[in-house]
Amino acid sequence: MKIKLSILTLLLCCSSLVFAQVKFTASVNKTTIGTGEVLEVTFSINANGDRFAPPAFGGFQVVGGPNVSNSVSMINGVTSASIAYGYDLVPTKEGEITIGPATIVSGGRPYSTTPIKIKVVKGQGGQASQQAQQQSSNGPDSRNIQRGRVSDISKSLFLRAEVDKTTAYLGQQITMNLRLYTRVNIANGEPEKIPDLNGFYSQEIKSTNPNAQWRTEILNGVRYNVTDIKQTILFPEHEGNITIEPAIMNFIVRQQAASTSGDPFDAFFGGYEDVKYKVKSTPVVIHVKPLPLAGKPAEFTGAVGKFNIEASLDKNDVKANDAINYTIKVSGTGNLKLLKPINPTFPADFEKYEPKITDTITENAGGSSGNRKYTYLLIPRHQGDFTIDPVKFAYFNPATGRYVSLSTPAFHVKVAKGTGDGSNVTAFSNAGKQDVKVLSNDIRYIKTGTELNEAGSDFYGSGLYYFLLIFGPAGFLGALVYGKWRDKNNADVVGLKSRKAGKIAAKHLASAKQQLNNKKAFYENLFRGLYGYLSDKLNIPYSDLNREKIASELKARSLDESLINEMLDTLDLCEMARYAPVSGITEQQVLDKAQNMINNIENKI
Amino acid sequence: MMKRIIYLLLIIVMPIYALANDEANILLKKGNDQYAKGQYKEAITTYQKIVNDGHQSALVYYNLGNAYFKNEDVPSALLYYEKAHKLSPGDDDINFNIQFANQKTADKVEAGTEFFITKWWHSFILRFSLTTLAVLTILFIIAGSALLIVYRFTNSVSIKKWSFYSALVILLLGFASMFVASRQDQYFDAHHGAIIFSTSVNVKSAPTPNAKNLFLIHDGTKVEILEDNNGWMKIRLASGNEGWINASDAKEI
Repeated sequence: MKIKLSILTLLLCCSSLVFAQVKFTASVNKTTIGTGEVLEVTFSINANGDRFAPPAFGGFQVVGGPNVSNSVSMINGVTSASIAYGYDLVPTKEGEITIGPATIVSGGRPYSTTPIKIKVVKGQGGQASQQAQQQSSNGPDSRNIQRGRVSDISKSLFLRAEVDKTTAYLGQQITMNLRLYTRVNIANGEPEKIPDLNGFYSQEIKSTNPNAQWRTEILNGVRYNVTDIKQTILFPEHEGNITIEPAIMNFIVRQQAASTSGDPFDAFFGGYEDVKYKVKSTPVVIHVKPLPLAGKPAEFTGAVGKFNIEASLDKNDVKANDAINYTIKVSGTGNLKLLKPINPTFPADFEKYEPKITDTITENAGGSSGNRKYTYLLIPRHQGDFTIDPVKFAYFNPATGRYVSLSTPAFHVKVAKGTGDGSNVTAFSNAGKQDVKVLSNDIRYIKTGTELNEAGSDFYGSGLYYFLLIFGPAGFLGALVYGKWRDKNNADVVGLKSRKAGKIAAKHLASAKQQLNNKKAFYENLFRGLYGYLSDKLNIPYSDLNREKIASELKARSLDESLINEMLDTLDLCEMARYAPVSGITEQQVLDKAQNMINNIENKI
Repeated sequence: MMKRIIYLLLIIVMPIYALANDEANILLKKGNDQYAKGQYKEAITTYQKIVNDGHQSALVYYNLGNAYFKNEDVPSALLYYEKAHKLSPGDDDINFNIQFANQKTADKVEAGTEFFITKWWHSFILRFSLTTLAVLTILFIIAGSALLIVYRFTNSVSIKKWSFYSALVILLLGFASMFVASRQDQYFDAHHGAIIFSTSVNVKSAPTPNAKNLFLIHDGTKVEILEDNNGWMKIRLASGNEGWINASDAKEI
């Protein structure tokens, strides 16, 4: 067996293989042991090595080993090898014992392990039996599993919430790993409580492999099987100290049943027992710093990380009512999903729609990165030259502790007159406007008059207007004045007539006197003279004149009854004399009588 | 006497109604022919020449507006329709075409609801043109005065009675038309309008170029001018919104 092994070692040594990373480590199965307990020390190198020199193992008694195990694998023609040297040690005294470095030479270079401190306490003794177990590729490394009963499971099975930083700026991303460390066999495990992560915006990193990925990690010199239960990216949402609450998981730990006889064979073949065990991680406190106020750009809206911004326009020469796409792309690492909407200012005449947001963001252990695209659909409604103003974007770079302002270029859009007038109307007209049903789909025809027969609007209020306006009333006033004058004048005519009546009568009487010989003509002239006189004097039209009227008019003018009777008698006489001969009175007497009467009336009226 | 008055009236009033200008009438006929043939651009030139010669006529403005409309220049069409409307506010054709052309403008300006009596009153005072009202006023006043003169000089009692009451009625009509004319004059004074000619105008909060943009209006929109200030005009929309625009963006009606 030994010969075989050494041949193999020799063979391995001979093969001159170069390894990129040679690791030579020392590990123990526990750092605290009781006296009488067996401590397993393993020195392993992931390459070929020779001239292995174990440490002195002072304070220990070597009870087994070195157990050398070699493994050689050939994958795609590349040969890799690893060697492990195992020793079983029993402490010889209590206290702190240091296992010194072991040395090995690989590829011509010497390597040495780090010393391991072992605390030896008074123990119950007992020897753990060795149990060989095959290691599956992803499963927990059996070599890391403690053998035998574990008295204090808390040391061998615990959860740790590991964060990549405990101090962060507001909005800066933090990666949290919930890791399970184990050195015991776990039959089953299920989470009881996952931290709420209040105060953070969190995003879980989705693992591609549904099975737990186990690896070996050395913590304080002890080898553990480690797996990441949950990976989360956290973005602090407020400043101050934020505590990540502990996670709680329930496990069923499979252990060897307690040996009743103490016979190692019993233990070897014996059964096992399952122990329920609750694991709780310790809370983690994150100190969240506020973003500095100094140098904060106006356009900053809370982006933290490292970003870049680009904008693009699919076309800049369009017709009215044709759609154009304007895209803003923010790419980088940081709180992309928390970005506030970017509000570019578009010309007021552009109809704009809510942007379409496309995220291409991946979360991994490095954080959240990718890009977010805002696509705006714009429809220019009118012709003209328009400018889309640059978009300003600012972010805080926590690595440098400074704000960075970015800006996209401005775009010029030339909008030509659109096709179709109708679309122009429908685009803007809403319910009210569309309701108007125009049956005759055209304007009314021109007025075909060929004479400019309409007056200017300036007639109203012009001098001519006012002149014509007072023309009517002025005419009326003139007419009033004229009427008054005429009345007065007419009154004079009556007076004159009456005044002249005597003279006219005298004329008539004179002509009658000439006809003294001609009886008929004489009376006719006398009658006319008297009638005319009375007509003028009493202002009675000649045609209206009769006996009664004369009597009443003369009475009204308070003439003597005798005089009135005499006048009426004379008139009767004249009328009678025209048709029959008159006796008892001469023409001369009648004439004198008439003359006397006229004189009397003239005197009285 | 009456005959004399009527002759005088005819001599004075007739020239107002028959501003017969042979040259303008020939141009008008030419413009109408061009319009009928669909030569709208040429018709615009012809009508515009009549207007440039100083003829203010609802007919020419209306025809010019039609020609502009057919030439797809809606703002100019509206400007001349509104000018025609001002001269002849009661004309159905003009009002219809204003309404029609307004459908082609971009902005929908919702006018505040008018109290129905106010609305009725406005339509009443805008029924006849100012010139018609002025001539009617004069004719009524003169006719009434003439009847009063008849009343004064007639000797017949029945004619006296008849002439007095009809004079009263006609004079009242004359005063009413004078009042309506003054209302209409005041209405157009108070509603001093303009048409926007720029494709899109940002209405600002103050008469300075970097004042805040209040709202956006487009060509063809009718605005009311409230104030003029250094190349800026304060405008109000029918909906009540007010603001300042560059005077060059609009043309006064």
